[in-house]
Amino acid sequence: MSEIRKPKAMRHNLVRALPVIAVLAALTLLLPWLHVPAQEGADYARTGINLLLFDRGILRLIPLAAAAVLALLVGLSLLARANRAGVRALVVLFSVAVMGSIYTLLTAKVTADASGLMPQPFLVAHLQIGFWAFLLLSLVGLVVALMALRQPATYVVLTAMGVVWLLPILWLVITSLRAESGAYTTYIIPKGWTLSNYTRLFTETEQFNFPRWYLNTLWVSVVTCIITTTLVLMVAYTLSRLRFPARRAFLNLGLIIAMFPGFMSMIAVYHILKAVGLAKSLISLILVYSGGGVLGYTIAKGFFDTIPRSLDEAALIDGASKNTVFWKIILPSSRPILVYTAITAFIAPWVDFIFVSVIMKDDYANYTVALGLFKMLEREHIYQYFTRFCAGAVLVAIPITLLFIRIQKFYVEGVTGGAVKG
Amino acid sequence: MTSVTAARRKARKGIFRELYETFRDGDAATRLSFLVMGFGSLVKGQVIKGLLYLGSQALMVWYLVGFAWQYLSKLDTLGDVGMQRVWSEERQIFVRTPGDNSLLILLFSVLSIMLVLGFLVLWRANIRSAYRAQRLKEQGKPLPTFADDITSMVNERYHITLLTMPTLMVLAFTLLPTIFMILLAFTNFDQTHQPPGNMFTWVGTENFRNLFGGHPLIANTFGKVLGWTMIWAVIATFTNYLLGMVLAIMINNKGIRLKAMWRTIFVVTIAVPQFVSLMLMSQILHDQGPLNALLKQFGFIQQSIPFLTDTTTARLTVLVVNLWVGIPYTMLITSGILMNIPKDLYESASIDGASPARMFFSITLPYMLFVTTPYLITAFVGNINNFNVIFLLTRGGPMVTEYYQAGKTDLLVTWLYRLTVDRQDYSLASTIGIFVFVISAGLSLLVFNMSGSSRREEEFQ
Repeated sequence: MSEIRKPKAMRHNLVRALPVIAVLAALTLLLPWLHVPAQEGADYARTGINLLLFDRGILRLIPLAAAAVLALLVGLSLLARANRAGVRALVVLFSVAVMGSIYTLLTAKVTADASGLMPQPFLVAHLQIGFWAFLLLSLVGLVVALMALRQPATYVVLTAMGVVWLLPILWLVITSLRAESGAYTTYIIPKGWTLSNYTRLFTETEQFNFPRWYLNTLWVSVVTCIITTTLVLMVAYTLSRLRFPARRAFLNLGLIIAMFPGFMSMIAVYHILKAVGLAKSLISLILVYSGGGVLGYTIAKGFFDTIPRSLDEAALIDGASKNTVFWKIILPSSRPILVYTAITAFIAPWVDFIFVSVIMKDDYANYTVALGLFKMLEREHIYQYFTRFCAGAVLVAIPITLLFIRIQKFYVEGVTGGAVKG
Repeated sequence: MTSVTAARRKARKGIFRELYETFRDGDAATRLSFLVMGFGSLVKGQVIKGLLYLGSQALMVWYLVGFAWQYLSKLDTLGDVGMQRVWSEERQIFVRTPGDNSLLILLFSVLSIMLVLGFLVLWRANIRSAYRAQRLKEQGKPLPTFADDITSMVNERYHITLLTMPTLMVLAFTLLPTIFMILLAFTNFDQTHQPPGNMFTWVGTENFRNLFGGHPLIANTFGKVLGWTMIWAVIATFTNYLLGMVLAIMINNKGIRLKAMWRTIFVVTIAVPQFVSLMLMSQILHDQGPLNALLKQFGFIQQSIPFLTDTTTARLTVLVVNLWVGIPYTMLITSGILMNIPKDLYESASIDGASPARMFFSITLPYMLFVTTPYLITAFVGNINNFNVIFLLTRGGPMVTEYYQAGKTDLLVTWLYRLTVDRQDYSLASTIGIFVFVISAGLSLLVFNMSGSSRREEEFQ
């Protein structure tokens, strides 16, 4: 469709609105932007003007004013001739204005406070209607300009959403590099930067033995991954390819068992493991994760169902055993599902903190990273360990994130039960 | 479906008829196999097979008599003799004698019953094998050797080879615990009946009656928690679905560049383990957390907003944070489907001069709703059981005294968790678990039938 309408015409009614917005934005310069209240104490009154001129926090308002004036000029030029270049320039100007305003909002306070001259909380108390109107008008101007160019204004929305979604994760990374300890800070950007949170995770192991937990988890997840993948492939192949009397019963039973909330049975699992003398051991974790993972065979089965049956029939006629068919025909064509099954099984021990807490109780040495990190945030530890929690979380999140991105396509099919296959 | 169940009913009736006919037509050796496993095979010369059968029978008898009977015999009361203090003459002190442990009695009884059932399957295989050997001998054909039997394990009976291990794992770590916990719902296993010190026993349906009105506090809590669980699940599912789809449509919009980058930004938030991202959220939203601190510093608020500690705010907070968690999921899932909508639909629509909005409402939305209904129900069930968001953010709080061990944002599953892990109220927790299962299973079966994946499974082959 877009090929037909090239080059795209601008939306002229929107172009006509742009000068109006630019003029209004410039008019906000006439409104009060900043209110510096008179203060008892001569120093402050004397430095009032200095504050405006020299304090970096407030100087940030000056580029904003410049952007407003430029927008006014460009906007008026559009009245003379509605050209694409002008509208594009407005997109840039309004973007600068929006980002500048937000930047001022977020950081000026820090500098204003550091100057020691502001007696009251900065910004909301001091920024006046002019600033807020300017911010709002720039935003509207940006959207209108983009729409006039038939450029999707969704970039603005997507950027805003992306910021909201990534901010907590960014905060995690930043906090993991924070030099000063403590859980609750009144600021986001650390006062000092350090890598010691990472190094101390691995060197100070008396209370929280992070390296040990990391190795525990690695060991458990590798073995779980091998066992689960083998079992899942076995079940999936059997239920997809072989026809035997109890097949239906197996399918239904698998479906029903998987629906019971796992929390319900974990206490019983603990007692079973205790009865056979395996409680509080890593082997028990491997058994539990593998036992749970087997029930995830449905996706692999769905995948096998799509491999043409004529392939194995031909092989069977040639005298191959069903075992050979499994190894020589099904497995080689199942690489993607093999990877998916293996990765999901590998991830499970890294993200579970419930089962492991029920099974391990207080046996710190056999914790996995998830439970260990969880413990770091308990009330008596959080002040001292919060930054190290963040460092540990980053170390766990990085490999898991990379693996997950690798399997996201199959993840979709898994969630939708193959019902929406392409 | 009806023909399948009919066939199955016929097959089930066939088990007993088959046993009867085998006994009627069998020779002495086959008949003796009913009592002494492997006898038929041994007599006919299949020595290894016969010995294996015989050995398994011996093992089973030894297990039942030597181990299981002490538990099975007490299954009716779950133990009569509690832990006692007995005066020991030689040591001149009171010593504790271990009494019956109700928990182990129940656990090993369930295990033994499952083993007996499994043994019965083996027993039937033994009879069949004996009868088959008899028939082959009568027809003068050679009997399968042990080597033949091994070969058949990778061919005709390959399913047995492949399914044995996985089935055992599932039986041990999923089915056995689940049956055990279901049975607990009919006992009084709670804080005051903790083995090994104290015994618990069967109480019939008392827990169910308590939940539905017998115990005013519990019944009231159950009603309220169930109500909030449903409200939560409905709102969480639909907000996530609609907003997630809007996001997917925005990213998949033709004019948008860097699609992969946008998608990855949101996928990253799914990939980060939830216990990390949600615990971080709970820190950010804490009364003294950075969000409140910033709002205060900028002068927007004077007092901290109790994001996680006030009933209404906490409920709103968990819903909003769940958007943060859930929107990328919906985006990820619906993106693929959006790309699957046949392009010619849009092309013909645009030739007819339809506006983009018209195309969305007439093509995209109906298509999406049609295709994703199963996902929507799955998501609903997922939200009913959405343990992580609630537990990691508010732990179910704010706790209130008018609830029995529950808080205002508790879902049934988080309540269940607290009852088991913190309170050891196992019987009540199991009752709730059964209830959650009924809801989830009902809805899931609906999906299963709707998605038609069961009916279509042969389609590709």
